[in-house]
Amino acid sequence: MNVPVDPKTLVAEMTPVSTSEQIATMKKALLKSIQRSAYVYRVDCGGCNGCEIEIFSSITPVFDAERFGIKVVASPRHADILLFTGAVTRSMRMPALRAYEAAPDPKIVVSYGACGCTGGIFHDLYCVWGGTDHIVPVDVYIPGCPPTPAATIHGFAVALGLLEQKLKAETHVEAAGETAALPHPDIPYALRVRLEREARRMAGYRQGGDIAEEFMALLEGHAHTPGSFSLSERMMEAIGEERDPRRAEIIGRLADVVQQAVRGEAA
Amino acid sequence: MLKLLKEIFRTGEATVKYPFAPMPVCKDFRGKPEHKAEDCIACAACTVACPANAIQMETDTAAGTRTWSINYGRCVFCGRCEESCPTGAIRLSDDFELAVGSKADLTRKAVFTLADCACCGKPFAPAKEVDYVARLLSQSARGAEEADRLRLTASTCPACKRAQDVQQIAGMGIARQMEAGLSKAGKPAKELETTP
Ligand code: SF4
Ligand code: SF4
Ligand code: SF4
Repeated sequence: MNVPVDPKTLVAEMTPVSTSEQIATMKKALLKSIQRSAYVYRVDCGGCNGCEIEIFSSITPVFDAERFGIKVVASPRHADILLFTGAVTRSMRMPALRAYEAAPDPKIVVSYGACGCTGGIFHDLYCVWGGTDHIVPVDVYIPGCPPTPAATIHGFAVALGLLEQKLKAETHVEAAGETAALPHPDIPYALRVRLEREARRMAGYRQGGDIAEEFMALLEGHAHTPGSFSLSERMMEAIGEERDPRRAEIIGRLADVVQQAVRGEAA
Repeated sequence: MLKLLKEIFRTGEATVKYPFAPMPVCKDFRGKPEHKAEDCIACAACTVACPANAIQMETDTAAGTRTWSINYGRCVFCGRCEESCPTGAIRLSDDFELAVGSKADLTRKAVFTLADCACCGKPFAPAKEVDYVARLLSQSARGAEEADRLRLTASTCPACKRAQDVQQIAGMGIARQMEAGLSKAGKPAKELETTP
């Protein structure tokens, strides 16, 4: 009865379109000596529209992709570059393939956004193919959700062979005797938890964590250089130096927590 | 005309220099999640938190390894991994230049070894995690003896811990009943049967 189902058997796999060798050599020649503008046609295969907005912000005057001759065109028949966005929903597969076939060879296919690269946040939905490379051969992947205009320009530069890609596949193997350092070994664990919790309660998870880190560095600095200042004087100094009243309040509250802990009061 | 030219000069050039000059990003920009494998304890908190399943863990008990991997092509740059990481091993960086020509270059992996249970000897958790937890616990220990005991507890697998707990509780129960039985001298036999 309850035999585990292999999810792969539930989804039909399509063989992506493949290109002939002749076209591949043509494409290489195109990339090598592209001395003119590159026209881009945008194929929306069911994204959330975030990617489209970023594509349009990269052709605004601020980022101005057109200074490199990158121009968004209205028909795939004019295109050198096809930009596929979205996770490729089932209903968009045929239109996407038609756009692909309509573009003249040699063409460069760019997979745009997390959705285009792998399906992104939608990768395990029942109604998506999960990535451009499931239907057509892809030349360049631009990750991001959505990629910023600068990342878009970098992606185009990689696609046109102007810039080298920066990422490389890497595997780290744990070295013998590798250990992770304990953060703030001089501060008692219970106090550390109380400080982090209070900072995060007041400033949110990420910024709260950062403020707690700063505060604990301050506390440790005090422990290592016990000068003429007392702990509370040090805290008052830190609060006084703080320009942002919200941060000053949080640091003041953290100082209270330390005082409470020193007096042995419960949280 | 002159007015228009003046306006143009006053406005200056709005276009950024990128890619010919580096692009400044704002504070708290959420770029590529940078993983420092040396600080990672393979605790899988980020794997659970990641909404897009960009971070995944694979445990291979036969080889005694656990492999952490991230797929930058699937990441949605939400920052939940850095929020959940207990050691700060993963942080979102300023790097946004992630475009690649081959999909394989979007993944990064880290292989960690598994520790064997101190009791049954089967692999149960990453060695670095066990070590980290043991050190963290012994920080608040009152003496060397308690620290040793905590380290031993940390290096025992959940199944063995459960079995030991059951044994301990059973032992405690009998001892308590024997005490109770002895104090009410005369009829110990009946009360021995009750569960703790
Ligand atoms: S990658 Fe992100 S922004 Fe782009 S279409 Fe997908 S969900 Fe939307
Ligand atoms: S930033 Fe978000 S999507 Fe990306 S790896 Fe971290 S948790 Fe996953
Ligand atoms: S949460 Fe941090 S320590 Fe745990 S597996 Fe992820 S990166 Fe490593």
